[in-house]
Amino acid sequence: MIEQAKTTQSGALTATPADQGITRKQPSMWRSASASLVRARWPLLAVICLVTLVIVALFAPQIAPADPNRQHLIQRLQPPLSPNEQGESMYWLGSDGLGRDVLSRLIYGARVSLAVGVAAVAIGGLIGVFLGVVAGYAGGRTDDVIMRLADIQLAFPFILLAIMVLVVLGAGFLNLVIVLAIGQWVTYARIARGETIAQKRKDYIESARAIGVHGSRIVRRGILPNILAPLIVIASFNVAGVILSEAALSFLGLGVPPEVPTWGGMLAESRDQLLGGYWWLAVFPGVAIMITVLSLNILGDWMRDFLDPRLRGR
Amino acid sequence: MTTYLVRRLLQTIVVIFGVTILSFFALHLAGDPTYLYVSERATDEEVAETRAKLGFDKPLHEQYFSYVVGLATLDLGNSLRSRTPAFELVMERMPATLELTIFAILFATLLAIPIGILSATRRGTPLDGGIMLFAMFGQSMPSFWLGIMLILVVGLWLRWLPISGQVPIIQPLLDGDFQTAITNFPDAIRHLILPGITLGVFSLARNARLVRSSMLEVLNQDYVTTAKAKGLARHTVIMRHAFRNSLIPFVTIIGLEFGFLLSGVVVTETVFSWPGVGRLVFNAINQRDIPVVQAAVVMFSLLFVLLNLIVDVVYTRLDPRIRLS
Amino acid sequence: MSKLSRRGWVSLALLLVLLVSTACTAMPAAPAGDSGAAGEAAATEAASGEPQRLVVAQSVDVQGLEPSNVNSRAESNIFTHMYATLYEITESGAIEPYLAESYTLSEDGKEMTFKLREGLVCHDGEALTAEDVAYTFERAADDANAFTGNTAGFVLDALDYQGVRVDSDLEVTILMGRYSSPALGLISEAFIHCKDSYEAMSLEDAAANPIGSGPYRFVEWVKDDYVLLEKVPDYGLKDVAYDEIQWKVIPEASTRTAELIAGNVDVITNVPPDQHAAIDGSGEASVNGVAGTRRMYVGFNQRDIYDDTEGGRAIKDPAVRVALQYAVDVPTICQTLLSFDCERASSMVNKPNDNANLEPYPYDPVKAGELLDAAGYPLKDDGTRFDITFMAGRGRYLNDVAVVQAIAQYLTDAGVNVDLQIMDWGSEFVPALRLHEVGPLYFVGTGGSTWSAVYDMSDLSAPDAATNYTEWNNQEWFDLWAQLGEVRDAAAEKEITDKMLEVMYNDPPWLFLYFQPDFYGVASDVDWQPRRDEIIDLTTASPK
Repeated sequence: MIEQAKTTQSGALTATPADQGITRKQPSMWRSASASLVRARWPLLAVICLVTLVIVALFAPQIAPADPNRQHLIQRLQPPLSPNEQGESMYWLGSDGLGRDVLSRLIYGARVSLAVGVAAVAIGGLIGVFLGVVAGYAGGRTDDVIMRLADIQLAFPFILLAIMVLVVLGAGFLNLVIVLAIGQWVTYARIARGETIAQKRKDYIESARAIGVHGSRIVRRGILPNILAPLIVIASFNVAGVILSEAALSFLGLGVPPEVPTWGGMLAESRDQLLGGYWWLAVFPGVAIMITVLSLNILGDWMRDFLDPRLRGR
Repeated sequence: MTTYLVRRLLQTIVVIFGVTILSFFALHLAGDPTYLYVSERATDEEVAETRAKLGFDKPLHEQYFSYVVGLATLDLGNSLRSRTPAFELVMERMPATLELTIFAILFATLLAIPIGILSATRRGTPLDGGIMLFAMFGQSMPSFWLGIMLILVVGLWLRWLPISGQVPIIQPLLDGDFQTAITNFPDAIRHLILPGITLGVFSLARNARLVRSSMLEVLNQDYVTTAKAKGLARHTVIMRHAFRNSLIPFVTIIGLEFGFLLSGVVVTETVFSWPGVGRLVFNAINQRDIPVVQAAVVMFSLLFVLLNLIVDVVYTRLDPRIRLS
Repeated sequence: MSKLSRRGWVSLALLLVLLVSTACTAMPAAPAGDSGAAGEAAATEAASGEPQRLVVAQSVDVQGLEPSNVNSRAESNIFTHMYATLYEITESGAIEPYLAESYTLSEDGKEMTFKLREGLVCHDGEALTAEDVAYTFERAADDANAFTGNTAGFVLDALDYQGVRVDSDLEVTILMGRYSSPALGLISEAFIHCKDSYEAMSLEDAAANPIGSGPYRFVEWVKDDYVLLEKVPDYGLKDVAYDEIQWKVIPEASTRTAELIAGNVDVITNVPPDQHAAIDGSGEASVNGVAGTRRMYVGFNQRDIYDDTEGGRAIKDPAVRVALQYAVDVPTICQTLLSFDCERASSMVNKPNDNANLEPYPYDPVKAGELLDAAGYPLKDDGTRFDITFMAGRGRYLNDVAVVQAIAQYLTDAGVNVDLQIMDWGSEFVPALRLHEVGPLYFVGTGGSTWSAVYDMSDLSAPDAATNYTEWNNQEWFDLWAQLGEVRDAAAEKEITDKMLEVMYNDPPWLFLYFQPDFYGVASDVDWQPRRDEIIDLTTASPK
């Protein structure tokens, strides 16, 4: 992201108007979108995938063929399409190391993985936007303090902070979401701050301030609507990033508890079994993550092109 | 320029200070780590004795104060576990981590440039679609999983590259042993490839997309169109005009990229048993070896902040439209 | 564009060329079948004249090389090769002379006098005499050194160490506060080192430059990478086959297995059960499993702090604790999750020192249900009998996360509504365990021995002993424990321990599980049998 990169240490480098002129230049979006088949078809497919995933997550209890936590030790590590012990149903996607149904865990996993992603991004976004708007609007000392906080956050390798907090507070859904949200807020704060400063200079805001319109109203009416588009774009990319971070933390043993199915956790659990040839344990959650991340990225690309071309190249 | 640098360095001190506060209190929040440093069968008196020895019996602000005093005198204390200076433990492993991170940055940036240009100049073709799809795959694979797959496929089945371990280059250089550094070089690179790919592939994918889109943007600029209209050869246009200008935003992200990759080393070093700081600090956090964690966090942050300072300064040289304020 | 940027591009391009060309030359340079670092694998191929090297991969590195600060199994494995002990515990559990040739015990059982062999030397050439043995113990006991390792933190306490006396050049006496039957075995855990060499070093130097007394001597430690040892020439006490042993650190299990199959390491530890088939099927190596001595159990924490919970009250009733023994199918857990046919434990003591008359509790869910009904915990309308919390650490024992989940499932099937809490081992579980604040159910494995029932039982030496995590307080058991201190002969001791184990069987503080199996991957050109007691003894290894 260009804006973010330029202000590694906040406000240290100020892009001149000439520079902004370059990045704001809009190539013809419609043409480029329709010119490339790749671009035109994929966003629709991405939306379909994501909607399906959300439906699956919402209706997991109705859709899943079995209890995701029911173990059958005798029937562990069954390949896909094996009959299960009762013979009533099948292990459509095989069973895991404790004889649990992989398909059902995958379906319930969609719930947790998407919930973690969306919750972390939403919380991080709210904190970030709030701090960013305050910094941009207030300026001066407040701005300095908030941006220094952002610098500290950036300089602190995220994974170390995450490990530290999770080791200290204990792993769990809520702590995981908090940690992942902490890792996000700077991005949003920077966008929000930059946009707020830019909007603040505009005539209509200046005149609103001059006639004594209350600050919070200016922010709500004048500033927030303008920064919503770039934030949504960034958020769609970040949900994907959060799902991957959750997988990495599961690998380090710091994800949600092992009986709670998440895609990242399933993948991390399967790593000792990859060598044994139990491919279905890794492939299905891996594919689920990839489809989700791919869809979010494609959707993000598309939204960026239509909503805010300045964010190209993120 | 001088005032600018002074100001930035002062900011750096504030940032490092903030980082130490954050990590210090994060580690102490969970309470007393003494139990990790006594034998399973120790009595209560022994526990109390050890607690006093480790200094955990003092109030928190006193502990922090003595820590900051130590930091100011560059004495970060001894590792609670191995009882050797924490700073040394971190610095001993820093060369290995830097080798891995630098390799991954080179991989993620240098390869991204040709891929991105290729994709941009062939926009809309199946090649472009293929590259972009590949890039998106690269951005959707958890690194530990990619690492294990690379070990199994490239290391074990194809036997093309070593599975794990490291051969040092930077350490012999620091020791002044150029001969060893040179003889180690080919083997060191072979050992770097798999972990380097694992660490860098996410960034490679992201950067390739970045180069592609900024390239596309520049290709649509008036002066490029003009150059084309003047009848300049296609590759001249691309290389002389488009390429150079499309790289400016790209340079700025290298600093942030470094921070991102430092985050990735914990997982990569574990998978490839790479003897670096990532593994050290992960173990240290688990064992609440607070001095070692502090030393590592301070070193990582310092590296990150200084590198970004350098990038900013270099960047202003590259692009005269940017002023230092 | 300024000139600087142009120069920048040239150097970037050069770097790219360099990178690509090294990658290209590097790849074909790798001969198929040998992907190891700088010919390490080749070294084990026993080219004549080349040193024979054995490469072992463990999951963690040593923290330091101080013989009095050995904290982990991985460290102890390396130290037993560098340092000799007065006596040694053999594979079968016998205790045999090593540096000492004999010992005598005083009348009151509080003084143990060792007679050393003649002509012993440490690795730096210094003669090893009674004075050095005394120094070893005094140095470990010295509070100023603040050692927390096995010798200082456990052995000396367990001996009730009072001091040491040099009787002559070759005779040394260890003074203890009381008689204890495992004393000889405990003393066999102390790594003997020489006085002059260690007095000349600061603690920091000593932790980096071990000067030992065993069959291998220290060459090099590359942190988080490996420790290299080489054979001591003409070491009289042991005959070893390999010239060098390299102890590598490979934290990730799949990576260890891949290196073993690729032929770059010869022995790996902690092989996950689901990788056995891959190793055995590779033709390059095989898995060697052994019934270990570590006693895995689910503890019933009977402290009052759980009285306000349903489960805490329930497990105070011995009938409930017996009933739950029937609810868990231990042999199936072993077969499926550990790839091992285990016999369920009937007590806390390893074979052959256990009470052979006690039958392990069978898996009988119906009986479990009946006993729970009878104890006053019938099934309620929601299908459960009572709620209980079950705590476990993560990543410490073989397949532990899967095992505790399976146990929780079995207990749930019996109507016990289990709330399973899996915690970080080092930072969460151990501190709580030490305070006896895990439970009411918790999962732990405690190290055992092949050579002494009393050693195995010493976890429960008193109702408030640090290792009595359940705070089990059976009067009969502790009365008998007191009697143990009175007897000196093995048969009388056996009679008492058998009786104690029967008491434990009927009033179980633990839900008995299994003795943890240990799995090692061994390359097919290495002849080596693992031991039961988790000690990796490579002095018995040889090339095939």
